[in-house]
Amino acid sequence: MPDNEGLMDRFVDRLPETAFFKFVAARILTPLWAWWTPVKPLPGGPHPSFQHGDNVQCMMNLIMPLKDKSPVGRAHAAMAISQHKDAIFAGLNNVGTVHFARFVIVGDNICMFSVYDGDFTNYIRDFIATIGEVFDAVVGLVEGGEKVIPCDKNVEAFIQWVHERDLYQVPDTPTDFLRDQERLNGDKAVAPVNDDLTLLPRKMVLQLRANANVSLGSGYRAYPGYSVAQVRKQLGLGW
Amino acid sequence: MVDPPTAKRLVQVIHDNLPAPVGERRPVHTIGIGVNGRFVASEVARSYCIAEHFDGEPVDVSIRFSNGLGGLEQHDGWSDVRGMAVRFHLKNGTGSDLIATTLGEFFVRNVDDFFKFSDTAKREPFRRRHWLLKILDFLQLKIPQRNPYPGETQAIDAGALRYANQHRFSQLGIFQVGLIGAPASYARASYHAVHTFWVTAPDGVRRPVRFYWQPVAGVRNIKPTPEPCEKYLFDELKKRLKRWPARFMLMMTIGEEGDTLDDCTKPWPGTRLRIAMGTLTLTEIPEGEDQATAGERISFNPCRLAPGIEPSNDPILKARLGAYEVSREMRGGCPFKWRADNA
Ligand code: HEM
Repeated sequence: MPDNEGLMDRFVDRLPETAFFKFVAARILTPLWAWWTPVKPLPGGPHPSFQHGDNVQCMMNLIMPLKDKSPVGRAHAAMAISQHKDAIFAGLNNVGTVHFARFVIVGDNICMFSVYDGDFTNYIRDFIATIGEVFDAVVGLVEGGEKVIPCDKNVEAFIQWVHERDLYQVPDTPTDFLRDQERLNGDKAVAPVNDDLTLLPRKMVLQLRANANVSLGSGYRAYPGYSVAQVRKQLGLGW
Repeated sequence: MVDPPTAKRLVQVIHDNLPAPVGERRPVHTIGIGVNGRFVASEVARSYCIAEHFDGEPVDVSIRFSNGLGGLEQHDGWSDVRGMAVRFHLKNGTGSDLIATTLGEFFVRNVDDFFKFSDTAKREPFRRRHWLLKILDFLQLKIPQRNPYPGETQAIDAGALRYANQHRFSQLGIFQVGLIGAPASYARASYHAVHTFWVTAPDGVRRPVRFYWQPVAGVRNIKPTPEPCEKYLFDELKKRLKRWPARFMLMMTIGEEGDTLDDCTKPWPGTRLRIAMGTLTLTEIPEGEDQATAGERISFNPCRLAPGIEPSNDPILKARLGAYEVSREMRGGCPFKWRADNA
């Protein structure tokens, strides 16, 4: 036994693993701290950057809560995607900068996860311009979707609507996450600052309360730095 | 490069912060083991860098794995940064060194920061935090200070945290040190050379790059326990190499316009072009007097580089040139040729 470790020390060290503490942390401490030190939701999508590597293979994680939260509602969503698969794939092909895109139902959400090159607004603008009203069938099933239908006539509103539903991308390093929070709060403190690094867990917990769904890190890439156009050219796909 | 008095002071402040004098040993990464190996560059390596060890011919390599802590006591099971210093032996008897650790970034940007950090992060008495205070931490959803290991009466943790709380550039490094843990094997950790180097391609194009070693056996830490095993890493490596050689891939990330070139506290994003430059195979562990040469007397320097690789203007990298030579002289380490003519 490590020196001077008492019974209470051992008990307290194990406290965070106990059901009691987990309950207290989730049901009492988190709401209490959220009320006392409110946290704003962080915006979704990739972090703005001018650099090439950050502007290829960008991620979109679009989570769209279904209006009808039942198996019937989920079946409608599945049908809307499968009925319009050709239109959606042709649209993505025409956008020309999308590496991968897929639709997933998680809980009562229809999600579109994609990897694309270039500017987010251009991607969504091109996408909606090329597939137009077909996507209305999907958007019509989603909470708040009616505001942007017909999508191809409300392009800017649609881009904003998508952006609001795109997940916050938690940076690869915990300190970049702190910097995101500071930026959102307009904190431009210069050294020496007076931070408290031990508060990181609380900051993370409260942020995950404000942004319940997030994308973790910038993700793995087998061939980072290459655009769709470069990959197609290298592979000789005649594109 | 820093002037000789500054180089001396850099090494002195490290010695001054040791729990006990280390005699003629390294003041940091004191405990280490020398290993022999071979490096074979990948097919594409030579198209990015003209350095001899990237031409595809197998190259003999000396490696020294180490625990980051300074001091004569071996604490393999403690959470600590680990080092992997590598020398590629070139045909004319010179070498090219690559020194890396399990930390993905450093915690200070320049020599001035280093001195200020050393001033703040001094060894202090390190006692178990009272359980009542820990409960208070939990109520604030904070991480309480870690428990001391058995026999650990002093630590720099509190000072390092104070420094990080005042300097945002150091927060990532210091936060990661706190989480780093202990590897299951020296051959099961990734090691990062953290600085930017410039490599020259056969067509004359110079690229800013950063190197890291990735273990083919995969990354694995041991489970932390209150009373960790003090010595297992040397034996584990000996047993491992008797069974089968262990391998590392040398990865090179290419920086882009706008990336931080001269600040090793800032890692580059994972979205940068990444090239597999070759494979290092650890073959054997020298025994007896040969181990003393390979594990102790050998001396590395991050600025000893083959033609085709140049140091960036990172002030920490430049400072290390002089500091490592001072330390080598202080401990009577083996001098090693910088140039074929030994000039
Ligand atoms: C100003 C900053 C630094 C100073 C003053 C410093 C100082 C030293 C000294 C004096 C030694 C012993 C050298 C010898 O006697 O041969 C050493 C070893 C070492 N340092 Fe640093 N260091 C610094 C930064 C770094 C960084 C950024 C890294 C990360 C790659 C690093 C990794 C290592 C490793 C792995 C060793 C052990 C090398 C071996 O096995 O021989 N150091 N350092």
